[in-house]
This record gives sequence, C-alpha cells and structure tokens, in this order.
Amino acid sequence: MLVALYYSWLRVSPDRVRDKHRDRFILSKGHGCTSFYAVLADRGFFPKEWLFEYGRELSPLPNHPCKHALPLLECSSGSLGQGLGIATGMLIALRLERIEARAIVLMGDGECNEGSVWESAMFAAANKLGNLVAIVDYNGVQAVGRSDQVMGHTSLEDKFRSFGWSSQTINGNNLVEVLAALEQHPSQDGKPFAIIANTRAGISFMEDDVLWHYRVPSDDDLQGALRILNALPIHLEQQR
Amino acid sequence: MRKAFADTLLRVAEENPKVAFLTGDLGFQVFDPFREKFGGRYLNVGVAEAQLICCAAGMALEGWRPVAYSIASFLTGRAFEFIRVSVAYPGLPVVVVGAGGGYTYAASGITHHAAEDLALMSLLPGFTVVAPGDSTEVTALLPQVMQLPGPAYFRVGRYGEGTFEAEEPCVLGRARLVASGRRVLIATTGDMAVVVSKALKLLKSTAIEPIVYQFHTVKPLDTRTLDRIAPEIEAILVVEEHYPQGGLAAAIAAWRITRSEPMEFVRLGPPDRLALGNFQREQLRKKLQFDSEAIVQMCRNLWEKHR
Repeated sequence: MLVALYYSWLRVSPDRVRDKHRDRFILSKGHGCTSFYAVLADRGFFPKEWLFEYGRELSPLPNHPCKHALPLLECSSGSLGQGLGIATGMLIALRLERIEARAIVLMGDGECNEGSVWESAMFAAANKLGNLVAIVDYNGVQAVGRSDQVMGHTSLEDKFRSFGWSSQTINGNNLVEVLAALEQHPSQDGKPFAIIANTRAGISFMEDDVLWHYRVPSDDDLQGALRILNALPIHLEQQR
Repeated sequence: MRKAFADTLLRVAEENPKVAFLTGDLGFQVFDPFREKFGGRYLNVGVAEAQLICCAAGMALEGWRPVAYSIASFLTGRAFEFIRVSVAYPGLPVVVVGAGGGYTYAASGITHHAAEDLALMSLLPGFTVVAPGDSTEVTALLPQVMQLPGPAYFRVGRYGEGTFEAEEPCVLGRARLVASGRRVLIATTGDMAVVVSKALKLLKSTAIEPIVYQFHTVKPLDTRTLDRIAPEIEAILVVEEHYPQGGLAAAIAAWRITRSEPMEFVRLGPPDRLALGNFQREQLRKKLQFDSEAIVQMCRNLWEKHR
C-alpha cells in the first residue's frame, strides 16, 4: 500500500515537503514505521544510510515516527486514534485557504477499536471532506489477539458506510487492487473514502500469528524470510 | 466572563485572519456574532472532545491559530491524552479553553466540577496556563495568549463573577498587584480574585494590610515577583478554587522551598475530596471555607500570630 501511495498516487516528492499543495500522508498506526521509513528512503526523502540508525539514540528514525527527529513528517504518531482527526483539521484549514490537496491516513484494524476514530469519521462525513482517504490495514491481528475475536465479526466497510463514507474492501497485498481502489477517489458524491485492505505479512511463518506482532527476528528468521521473498541475503553487522 | 471572551475573540479574529474557533457543541448564542462574521472559521465539531483537539491540531499544523472551546472538566479530562500527544508533543499554538473552570457548574454535580484543570494542563511541557479573574482580565489576556508560539490553557467562567480593581495592568506571565500592603501575602488565581477583593474591603477598617497578588498566569509561575517580595513576607496565604494538588498553592509551595526566609504557608481552597451535596457555588465556597469571610479570618490570624 505504501508502494502504491509513494510511487504512484500521492502528489508528494522530496523537493516539496513544504509545498502547500502537496498531499498529506499520515501514518496513524505509528508502530508500522519501519516500512514507511524504507519507502521514504527509497523515494529519496532522506539518505538510505539513515535506515541503519533505526531505533538508535538520537536517530532521525525512532521506533515511532517523531516530527522533532524527522521534520519532513506531517506529524508524529504512536498513540492510536489521532491521525484521522488531525487529517480532518488539515483539510478544514486547506478548504478555508481554497487549496485542493488530499489527505491520506493509514490506520490499523486494532486502531479502529478507538472511539476517537469514529468521532473523526462522523465529523469528516458531516463536513463533506471528500479529499480524505482512510486506509485500514486489516491484518487481522492486534496486540493481544485476533481482531475479530477482540471486537467481533463485523464489517469495517459497513461501519464506515453507516458513518456516511464511501467504502470498499480489497486485497491489500495486491498492488493492482490497491491502485484501482485509489482510482475510485474522489467519489462523485463528495464523501470521504475508506479502503479496508485485507493484508497478510507476506512471510509464511509470520502470518496469522500474534507473536510476530512483537518478536524481533533472529538472523536465521531474517535469512529465512529473505529466501521466501526471493531476495539476496543481508548481513546486518557488516552493513553497520 | 464568557461574554468578554466572545467579544475579545471577535476582535482578535478581525486582526488575525488565521484565527479559527472550534467548539465542542458549547456556547449557545454566545458565539453567533463570530459565526455570522467569519463563517467557516467557526466550527462546531459536536460533542466530541477528542475530535475537537485533533482537528485543532491539524489546523495548527497548517499554520492556523485554533481556539478549542468546551466545558473545562470534559476538555481537560476526557481529551487529556489528545492534548498531550497532538498539541503538547509538537508544541502547537492551540489555545485550549476550559469554560466553567473550578466550581462554576457547582450544582451540576461532580461530572461538571473542574477542580483539577490547572493541574492537568500544567503537567504538560510547554503549556502556558492562564486563569483570568474577571472580564477585564479576559479582555487583556486573550490577545496576549493568542500571540504565544506554543500551546496554552485558558480557564474562563460563565457570567456574574463580578469584577475587581488592581494597582497594575494585566500582563501575561506576570503576577498582578491587586493591593499594596505588608507582612502577609495573599496570592490567588482565577475569579477567586474577586472573592479576595471582597475580603480586602472587609479588612479596610482594620490595620490589617496584606499584599495581594493575582496570579492569572499559573504557569510559568512569576517567581521573579515572589523573589522580590519574599524578604518582606512573614506569611503566605494562597486562595484557590482548585484541588490542593497541582494548582497555584502547589506551584508557590515549590517556589517557597527554594527560599531560606521562615515564611508561614497557608492555603484556603477545596480539600482533596469530592464536593458532593449539590451545593451552589457560593454555598460550596462557604462550606469548604474559602469564601471572603474565611479569608478575612485567616488573614487576622496570620497578622496577629506574627506580630
């Protein structure tokens, strides 16, 4: 999904991080920052060498995105259920300035447990924020259990629709489907748009296992994962 | 006080086109002139304090100066983590306005009491915390608060608080001299300044002449003024409509331990206990012994004791 956004859909680039007309991307599920950092580095927002500083003291890339450490971010994140509301505020401000930029918020399925997500969802529809896209990374697991066991077998697509949004469920691992869904925006009726993206980790032994929400891969895990991805081995210690 | 707030906000918004007013479904009719004049710069986000704060933060990230307005108890309590993460962490210039601070809504019950708002907002790094004493102070302080580079909390009352006279103008960050005097310092904040002024009038015919300062800015505390007057002070009496934890008394107590003078320290205000019983505000102040009569009595005691 980040690839679809940053290599195709988003109107952003390293030379226009202060441009008022850029699209605003907010990683509301701040704990998912490793893939975000990788995409930003690959797109030239900062040198790739910085990736090896990930999580270290005084790093521009801490364990949750911090705007003080990495000023090109739209905002810091790490506490769930705030990114959607911040995006609505940005769009209200931009509307008052008559600027036609879009705001995209990437959230987690666990994050949608937060009541504040629904305060913001209600507000976005009431204020007809048609330039707002929320993508829910529906990976099916949250910190201490499977999402449907924690919050019940209900449809997030239906929930967003009932809150006055357009909504669509897709296979988030399929780049073609992600791009096709993004092309549905903006909808004719000016509604905000929620994409419920069913996703899998993509590494067979990590999938559908709550343990891998926490576990730091060993070197064996890393090499095994790289083999599954048909990627070349990486030896981290040598890189450092 | 609320009318003065609405009128001043209108003036501030006329001067600065980036000022926006966001309300959590509060202020029936009071902000109609603002809405009529500024249209989209008035926004009712509904009964949704988390959304109120996040939306204000998003606007501030785009260079706006949002004022986020709701009932003090709900805004500072319920939305605390949103204020902490989305406003204090990036240090955004959002003015969080708590309407009905202290026991303004005394008879509405415990849910509506805001006797911990100053503590909650003072806890957040970078926050300026302001509790004006009357309409005059609201009018003077709001434009100054709207110039701050970072976040602020602004506690306002409703109406009928009364007014008080002071010997100095109202400058943000500086304790305001209400009455010159000697030996005993009375320090107060918010609209307790009006009650303290009433106590002063009752003392007028006596030889008791305390020094009275209004600390409309609770954070950062004006320690320069305190340091300057400390050598003349025998006792400090803090009067506040706030729990003992984290309000003006706590802030002045923290300053006092940096001093070597043997100043007695007394506080009048609500104890660390829920104010049950459905009392009106005046009755509550009397019952909890921080009304003007209690202030007069405590002042007499301190004056006699240190003679």
